[in-house]
Amino acid sequence: MSARNPATRTALGVALVTGAALLASACGSSDSSGGAATTANGNGKVAAVIKGLDNPFFQSMEQGLNDQAKSAGVPVTVQAAASITDTTGQADKLNGLAGQDFSCFVVNPISGTNLIQGVAQLAAKKKTIVNIDSPIDAKAAKAANATPATYIGTDNVQAGELAGKRMTQLLPSGGAVAAIGGISGDVTSGARIEGFSKGLGSNVKLTQTVAANWDRQEALTQATNVLRANPALAGFFVANDDMGLGVARAVANAGKTGKIKIISVDGIKDALEAVKAGQLDGVVAQYPYAIGSMGILACQAAAKGKTLPATVKAPVALVTKANADKALAATPKPFQAYANPFQDLLK
Amino acid sequence: MTTSSPAQDLLLEVTDVSLAFGSVQALKDVSLTLRRGEVTALVGDNGAGKSTLVRCISGIHHPDAGTIAFDGAELELSSPEDAREAGIETVHQNLALVEDLTVWQNLFLNRELVRKVGPLAFLDRGAMQRQAKEMVSTLAVNVPAVQSRVRRLSGGQRQAVAICRAAGFSSKLVIMDEPTAALGVQETAKVEELILRLRDEGHAVLLISHNFEQVMRLSNQVWVMRAGRCVGGRRTDQTTGQEIVSLITGALAA
Amino acid sequence: MPSTTTAAGPAETRSETWSARAKDVGFWAEWAALVGLVALIVIFGALNPTFLSAGNIESMLVAAAILIILSVGQTFVIATAGIDLSVASTMTLGAVAFGQVYARGGGLWASCLAAVAAGTVVGIANGLLVARAKITDFIVTLGTLSAAAGLALILSDGKPVTVIDAGLLKLSTGGIGVLGWTFLIAAVVAVAAHVTLFRTRFGTHVLATGGSPEAATATGISTARVKIAVYVISGVLAGFAAILLVGRIGAAEPAANTSFLLNSVAAVVLGGVSLFGGRATIIGPVLGALLLTALVNGLTLLGVSQFYQPLSVGIVVVLAAFLTRFQR
Repeated sequence: MSARNPATRTALGVALVTGAALLASACGSSDSSGGAATTANGNGKVAAVIKGLDNPFFQSMEQGLNDQAKSAGVPVTVQAAASITDTTGQADKLNGLAGQDFSCFVVNPISGTNLIQGVAQLAAKKKTIVNIDSPIDAKAAKAANATPATYIGTDNVQAGELAGKRMTQLLPSGGAVAAIGGISGDVTSGARIEGFSKGLGSNVKLTQTVAANWDRQEALTQATNVLRANPALAGFFVANDDMGLGVARAVANAGKTGKIKIISVDGIKDALEAVKAGQLDGVVAQYPYAIGSMGILACQAAAKGKTLPATVKAPVALVTKANADKALAATPKPFQAYANPFQDLLK
Repeated sequence: MTTSSPAQDLLLEVTDVSLAFGSVQALKDVSLTLRRGEVTALVGDNGAGKSTLVRCISGIHHPDAGTIAFDGAELELSSPEDAREAGIETVHQNLALVEDLTVWQNLFLNRELVRKVGPLAFLDRGAMQRQAKEMVSTLAVNVPAVQSRVRRLSGGQRQAVAICRAAGFSSKLVIMDEPTAALGVQETAKVEELILRLRDEGHAVLLISHNFEQVMRLSNQVWVMRAGRCVGGRRTDQTTGQEIVSLITGALAA
Repeated sequence: MPSTTTAAGPAETRSETWSARAKDVGFWAEWAALVGLVALIVIFGALNPTFLSAGNIESMLVAAAILIILSVGQTFVIATAGIDLSVASTMTLGAVAFGQVYARGGGLWASCLAAVAAGTVVGIANGLLVARAKITDFIVTLGTLSAAAGLALILSDGKPVTVIDAGLLKLSTGGIGVLGWTFLIAAVVAVAAHVTLFRTRFGTHVLATGGSPEAATATGISTARVKIAVYVISGVLAGFAAILLVGRIGAAEPAANTSFLLNSVAAVVLGGVSLFGGRATIIGPVLGALLLTALVNGLTLLGVSQFYQPLSVGIVVVLAAFLTRFQR
């Protein structure tokens, strides 16, 4: 029986909430000094702070959070940063929520350290911290005594590797490829490009990396420039889909759609459509929906007193023309089965 | 206060003009007159209200009460353009010149000559430059080419440009607020020459000055202001510098 | 254009004047953008011949078009001693307006109108708040920056709208030789702006308002009306730039476009326009925009590490600002 069966989920949810209510009434309003297993007032209220909603990726994440919370009957408040670069704004939002009576916090920080202060506050109050998608810097967390209960995220290196392997497949006679990254120095972008490099076969060389600030227009301009510099370029690896669509446009402008292979990472709807239409040659889809959903599940498991696994890899899938239809039909949910340790914990 | 003279000689009649800025009463019942073809001086201590009165006459401020009659007709001045149209030109204390613009651009500021091309009006630069040259040479003003930027001109030259602007547009009254205050001896002499030439050409001049010798030298009539009021007027040839000073300080009542 | 200072003397002093000019730092300061651009072209052209290829020049000119239009709008505002920090967000709002109308089947022209209308509304708001409510321009446009960006997110629900239109596609990819249509449009805008600034009464009033508001008021110019007008111009041009942006990337998205804001101010400063108002040219900021675009293009062609690109741009802008101190 799959834990994704709505009936099972509802039953679980009801059981959880009843259990939590009983616990709450039993313990009264006094703070228990329990360890990481039990939360102070297990009212099951969850707060989530994610990155900017100006990117459909995080909209899916929000959807996953809300859907799972709804079906499990867990009250959830989701706050997003004003934009994908608003580090201090996001920290302010978390600090605001930290003062309120949530028992579990799902955090998706813009940078490795911008939410450390808020998270430290939470740890001091013994709230459960579930880190999703973008990792909190481990050293900083340890120094603040605020290591999250679990980290659920896409292994960006793994995602890049999938893209690298696929690129090698697409270029049987080898060639030169270029990488278009996000903001210069960004960890996620760096990890994906690193993975991509690792996944490349011996006859495909990564010759140039440029930064395009996660901006579609800049990616277009830079891709045009790179193509100009390397007319024999065989492919592009792009750190996210939004930029990937810009690169696709640049390649189309040069009249080389299909001849220059483009693979990007994320899995937003427009990119999947582009794969179907042949403008992109592959997309490594992440499932922010699943990440969000697992975030809530982690909170549920923690509320039940379970010890959470330190790291959980979120599913990724390579979408090509062959399975684009399936991917589109299921989006934002994964179209393939994936390991969900939290479901297991809750059984 | 005024000596007997035919009414038609009066170019400007200010009657009971009052103006307050918030709680500060800048002008209180100010009345004075000005005759055609004369240099009339307005003197007073700092803060007496001279510049404020000038700004009322040139259309920048609107008095709360009182009337201003010019050339026989009562004036409703709601903007500097109204004043200019009536024939009142002003050379402000700060000269009101835009440093980054050229001499001819400043001369024609807000009265630019245009050529119409369909619905659009384009600047007629050639005509303005020509007219500017004429204006400058008529007044024998020593200014380098009218294409020079005002920024490059000396204090006296800028003053000359400002006066040229005031005098060059067939104005009946030219008001000058402290025209030589910041100038050296030579330049002051040149500007005074200009003022007398203006008078000789038929303009009436209202001169605000701290310089008594200048006032006694140039003017036909002197009005004194103190603390927002007009406290007295004399024909210059019938008074002395000392009397003026006493009126200013209040030692003498009007 | 720097005008003659002292009276033009006889022919024998003219050669004197030229060499004197060359030694005069003020002269170089006035033309910093052109000098910089020529230097860049020479250096990059020598290091990588592809830089000067027809194809590359075409893509550079097209890439610069949007920035040119935004910089021209910004120039009008800065000429009145103001600043418009909302240009990029207004462009975003314009793009989103375009997308929303387009997605509902409005067609190309209605969508273009929507983009320009959105820009106009923001421009009017800026103008009224600065000129009538007398709030500092920095604060006002900072506020409209956020408001417009937020409005764009709300209207679009955070989702991009793909815009595939044959006409728009031809606009963004076609042209005459190396001059793409979008660049030509930007050039037309620049020429119109130049004529407006230097050949109309309004243009003189703009420079007067910035150069000396007291002088302008004393001669009867309504500085309030001039200020409202320049913010509206900036907004309208941002709306216009939005259309070109949608054409370029083939989608209307609520992206922040922050780099456009910073680059528009940089281009204006590079162009020798004084941030204190009163002194402006149009050709300067246009050259500044071209310089910034060529800089990024050249660095990428040379394969310079991505970490050095922002540093190079920063150095160039600071150098240019430093040079403008020597303007007479």
